[in-house]
Amino acid sequence: MRLMTRAVLVTAVTAALGGTTYRVVARRRSASAPSSGRRHVITVQRPFDEIAEVLPEPLSAYHGALDVQLRAAPADRGTEISARALNDTVSDGDIRRLLRESRSLLEVGDVLQPGGPTSTPTALNAPLRAATRHGREGGLL
Amino acid sequence: MKALQWQGVNKLAVGEVPDPEIRNPGDIIVKVTRTVTCGSDLHLIGGYIPFMEKGDVLGHEFVGEVVEVGSDVRNHRVGDRVVVSSFIACGKCYFCAQELFSLCDNGNTNPAITETLWGQAPGGCFGYSHAMGGNPGSHAQYIRVPFADVGAFIVPEAVTDERALFASDSASTGWMGADLGGVRPGDVVAVWGAGAVGQMAARAAVLLGADRVIVIDRYENRLGQAEKFAGAEPLNYEHTDVEAELRERSGGRGPDVCIEAVGMEAHTPGAQFLYDQVKQQLRLQTDRPAAVRDAIHACRKGGSVFVLGVYAGFVDKFPLGALMNKGLTVRGAQMHGQRYIPMLLDRMARGELVTEHLATHTMPLADAPAGYRMFKDKEDDCVRAVFLPN
Repeated sequence: MRLMTRAVLVTAVTAALGGTTYRVVARRRSASAPSSGRRHVITVQRPFDEIAEVLPEPLSAYHGALDVQLRAAPADRGTEISARALNDTVSDGDIRRLLRESRSLLEVGDVLQPGGPTSTPTALNAPLRAATRHGREGGLL
Repeated sequence: MKALQWQGVNKLAVGEVPDPEIRNPGDIIVKVTRTVTCGSDLHLIGGYIPFMEKGDVLGHEFVGEVVEVGSDVRNHRVGDRVVVSSFIACGKCYFCAQELFSLCDNGNTNPAITETLWGQAPGGCFGYSHAMGGNPGSHAQYIRVPFADVGAFIVPEAVTDERALFASDSASTGWMGADLGGVRPGDVVAVWGAGAVGQMAARAAVLLGADRVIVIDRYENRLGQAEKFAGAEPLNYEHTDVEAELRERSGGRGPDVCIEAVGMEAHTPGAQFLYDQVKQQLRLQTDRPAAVRDAIHACRKGGSVFVLGVYAGFVDKFPLGALMNKGLTVRGAQMHGQRYIPMLLDRMARGELVTEHLATHTMPLADAPAGYRMFKDKEDDCVRAVFLPN
């Protein structure tokens, strides 16, 4: 059993930014606020050893812009993945979305896509539609 | 295709929407054969859960036929007759591994709203607002079912569509209340609400060996169904002092397990109802919790209260003192259908669990707005209105 104290720094913070990675980071939506610098954490229902070898693409694409750490969750509850922005190119919303998509890829192998829209934009539902467009970026994660 | 759409507070209409399509390799497309109203839909229709958009398709309890399968689907083929859990769950996350499927980490594409409201996000649900993923609902000719290997179940030949329909949500929700409420042989169980979910909870308690099961409501036709089909004792709260009656029927102890199957628009006699109505309309509370209050007060010391009714936010006059001082266990959940549906289908096939009587009114999808009016107003003793989209 792995202890909580077992922590591994998976992504070197000084890694050079690849061209592709930089483009991904630079596509940050203008609406996204800069990162608070807080560490965001999720737990993934997969063994630490499996995840530690290769991070899923959503996180690895931000190599150099994020400080990502993994550690085994207590009582065989999987693996805790935490991420923190290293610069202003990544917002808190980006990190939440990356973590959620990574969890889904690691657990399911896929990220669930929303159903096709059947609704009509109105002035009344504009705030809800805006929130829904960023559904994986908001929240408390 | 045709679908029943929410058009605004208390406005429904059948309109044209795009056909659903496979969006993930684990999806199937189901041609809906039967889809049914649910009391929790009324909270959406009435604007009590303010995360609806004009045009959203309602409905989360349905059976149908598989007409298309995604490339990763292993358990289903075109032509299968399936009943589908109303909650969408991946089957792989920590919560699914604990069989708490409605808490799935990967089933809600829009977790921000509920996470902000409640601290953590539950899974997604069909036709139940953008807070639950914005998934188009089942009151339509076709529906996309994500994670189909986890949430869709082949209906045994011995079970009709009419019966299997209610395994989708009502029966699994009711069973969950009795199961997770901890009903044991010899228990006295009280169920608030004699709608479909309450009746199913009562039937589950009987099948789990409860000594007495008492169902509380004010509609005689529903109480009659609970007596006839669930084997429960009816109690009309407009005609008697419920708590005194429950005490008397449980040797003065109070019910061991109290199951609330009413929800956020509870009705009660007297001043409490007026008080809750005013506070709800003024948005000083979002939900009317009268049945939960009663359940907590009536429950025996050290007993269990399970909240099956849907609640959205905050309530006033919650009896925390009774809960704490009586040492109660209070639980609640959206339904973990994937945990119960196979077992329920087996019981349906054996005739232990019958549901057809719940479908008091069956009509084409085109009449769905009228069906919801009947259902809401309990016209013509409507318990559930079932729609036939095809």
